[in-house]
Amino acid sequence: MSEVALENKKNTVQKKKKWKLSQLIGFVILLVVTITMLSPVWFMVTTSLKTTKELLLFPPTIIPKVFAWGNFSELFTNTDIKFGQQYMNSLIVAICTVIGTIISSSLVAFGFARYQTRSSGFMFMLVLSTLMLPYPAIMIPQFLLFMNLGLHDSLLPLILPSFFGSAYMIFLLKQFFSTMPDELYNAGRIDGCSEFRLYWNLTLPLAGPALATVAIFSFIWSWNDLLTPVLYLDSQENFTLPIGMAAMLSSKFRLAPWNLLMAASILSVMPIVLLFAVAQKRFVEGIVLTGIK
Amino acid sequence: MNKKWMSIAISLTLVFALLAAACSNKEKTDGGKGEKVTITHYTIDSPDRTFVEKLIPDFEAKHPNIKIKVTKAPYEQFDSKLQSSIAAKNAPDVTSHWGYGGFMEYYNKDMLMDLSPYLEGFKASDYNIPDDVMDIYKVDGKTYGIPLNSYVTVMLYNKDLFDKAGLPYPPTDYEDKSWTFEKMVEYAQKMTVDSKNMEEAQYGVDFGFGERDQRPQYFGANVYSDDTWTNGGKPSEINLSKPEVVDAYKTLYGLIYDKKVAPTPAFSQSVSGQFGDPFLSGKIGMSVVGSWSLAAAADFSFNVGVAAVPQSPKGDVRSVLYVDPLFVLKDSKHPEEALEWIKYLITTEIQEKSIELSGGNPPVNQAAAEKYYNNFEGIDPKGIQQVFDGAYKYGFESYNHLISNYSQINELFINELAGVENGDKKVEEVLPVIEQKLKDLLARVNKP
Repeated sequence: MSEVALENKKNTVQKKKKWKLSQLIGFVILLVVTITMLSPVWFMVTTSLKTTKELLLFPPTIIPKVFAWGNFSELFTNTDIKFGQQYMNSLIVAICTVIGTIISSSLVAFGFARYQTRSSGFMFMLVLSTLMLPYPAIMIPQFLLFMNLGLHDSLLPLILPSFFGSAYMIFLLKQFFSTMPDELYNAGRIDGCSEFRLYWNLTLPLAGPALATVAIFSFIWSWNDLLTPVLYLDSQENFTLPIGMAAMLSSKFRLAPWNLLMAASILSVMPIVLLFAVAQKRFVEGIVLTGIK
Repeated sequence: MNKKWMSIAISLTLVFALLAAACSNKEKTDGGKGEKVTITHYTIDSPDRTFVEKLIPDFEAKHPNIKIKVTKAPYEQFDSKLQSSIAAKNAPDVTSHWGYGGFMEYYNKDMLMDLSPYLEGFKASDYNIPDDVMDIYKVDGKTYGIPLNSYVTVMLYNKDLFDKAGLPYPPTDYEDKSWTFEKMVEYAQKMTVDSKNMEEAQYGVDFGFGERDQRPQYFGANVYSDDTWTNGGKPSEINLSKPEVVDAYKTLYGLIYDKKVAPTPAFSQSVSGQFGDPFLSGKIGMSVVGSWSLAAAADFSFNVGVAAVPQSPKGDVRSVLYVDPLFVLKDSKHPEEALEWIKYLITTEIQEKSIELSGGNPPVNQAAAEKYYNNFEGIDPKGIQQVFDGAYKYGFESYNHLISNYSQINELFINELAGVENGDKKVEEVLPVIEQKLKDLLARVNKP
């Protein structure tokens, strides 16, 4: 009996040891992967703190010899760059786009999810088919439209389209709204809810995760968009961040200011990181619930 | 309830309609003579181009009836913004081929205005522009562009590496017959440390003479038939299978793989990133490069010198000239006023001022050249002048300004020659492939 007990104990110890080893290997692998993934971020941060002379050193220094914190303030003080103005414009465009996309897409998605008519399937296909149109195909006609409306060289052409729905977001939200039980809506109707209140007071509060996903996606798309602002904006005071940052690389006649560009990159990823940190829980739920990545 | 929603919808529609109407009623195009007209100057968003904004107040004070508006785009998006604004009938008045496309591409797309009718009384000599430079942008006797800046190809060298190898500095005089291609290779061999260890490795020469299809010209060979330069940039024959062209490419890429004195693309990218110039890393002895690299000379972490491109083994083209012009686009409603602005930019006073404001753009106005040569700290102005004089004498205009649909042609060369540059393929196997693809491409794009 005691021998068996001893054997069992031995087995447990061995098992424990084995598990620990695998844990260690896993840990090492994770560490290597983490370092690999973080190295570009490290490169971005250190480059942003280097002086112009140090940028050209080879091999590159891993830690800057002199920490040039002034690079960050230069972004805001250098009148050629106008970083602060561009940051503000990008924020205005991105926030308005998020609001527009959420209002318009959720309303349309609600319609498609809750009301069935003979043509609703066809209409939904029609909406989805607009996903097939690449932006360059509608670029010129849309440009002409906004030109004729006199909105060229303002932020409105970047914001207004979001108030007319986005097929991708409509699809995403419709998937979510379709999963809500009919009983809920029937109960609402019995209690005297109008159709709009069913949308406003019932659907939207329950759709938090899906709306968070829509908000994050539309924010990132608008924040990173370069082509549309380049087409519509002429005056420097209207430029958005991607234009400003692309312009820093424009000159083939001199060294690209990589240190300023990296400082700008750090500041420009901040809103996305913050947004993700705030909405992370809901965002992940949204991906799970709508099945969209 | 329904009524309420209906009324909201109707009022919203009305608001939008009013807004649209109000916006579209904005002031229309500027009127005829005597009234103030706006000239749009479209450029790359980079300090050496956007400095023109600082010249506007002075110009507008001298020309009260003209207002200048500068619009800009990053380099990569320059062409797409230009194309879309032309399509939307919102084209700028004044611009240049600052994107990927060149003069002939613009010309063949019928984007440019013939300036000849407005140039009566205009003499290039009044602006100290040499006649042959002025002629670059003429087709069939009609002027389509006014030169603004003239860049050349120069040799930059790293004085520190020369000193370390105990070599004399290369000469600035193009007439110095001792400065030959072989001599350059010999110097390069003495400076090269061909090592797998990136920290030790350094190379003698990086021969970046023009774009890839123009490089054989240095060796006395021409990729395109001669009619290309007179028929609007449409080559009737491609000479890639001619022995002199094959030999030229073999000599060129032999610098990397036979002589091992030039850096591989992998080395260049690892020391300077995808688009960077490996010379800046301080690990290249001599670099044959466009003179715009001079503008960054003050930032280099080593001492730099300027020299003549060595004498070619055959042929006499030793420099690629990049004369940047200003065009007036065809849709411009105010070509005369646009031309006033262009003329202002090439006056001696403004060209001198532009050198300083731009950080070192080489003026086309030769009276301002003196100031340009004195602009680079630590480099002897007389040396720079000698190099520029020689480059003009032995120069040939850059192919990308002269050949139609150049961006596509250039991309083909870059993609196909990558195999040779990486050492995976031989020149002899790649050139016939390029020849065939190029013929197909030209047949397609140059269809009458």
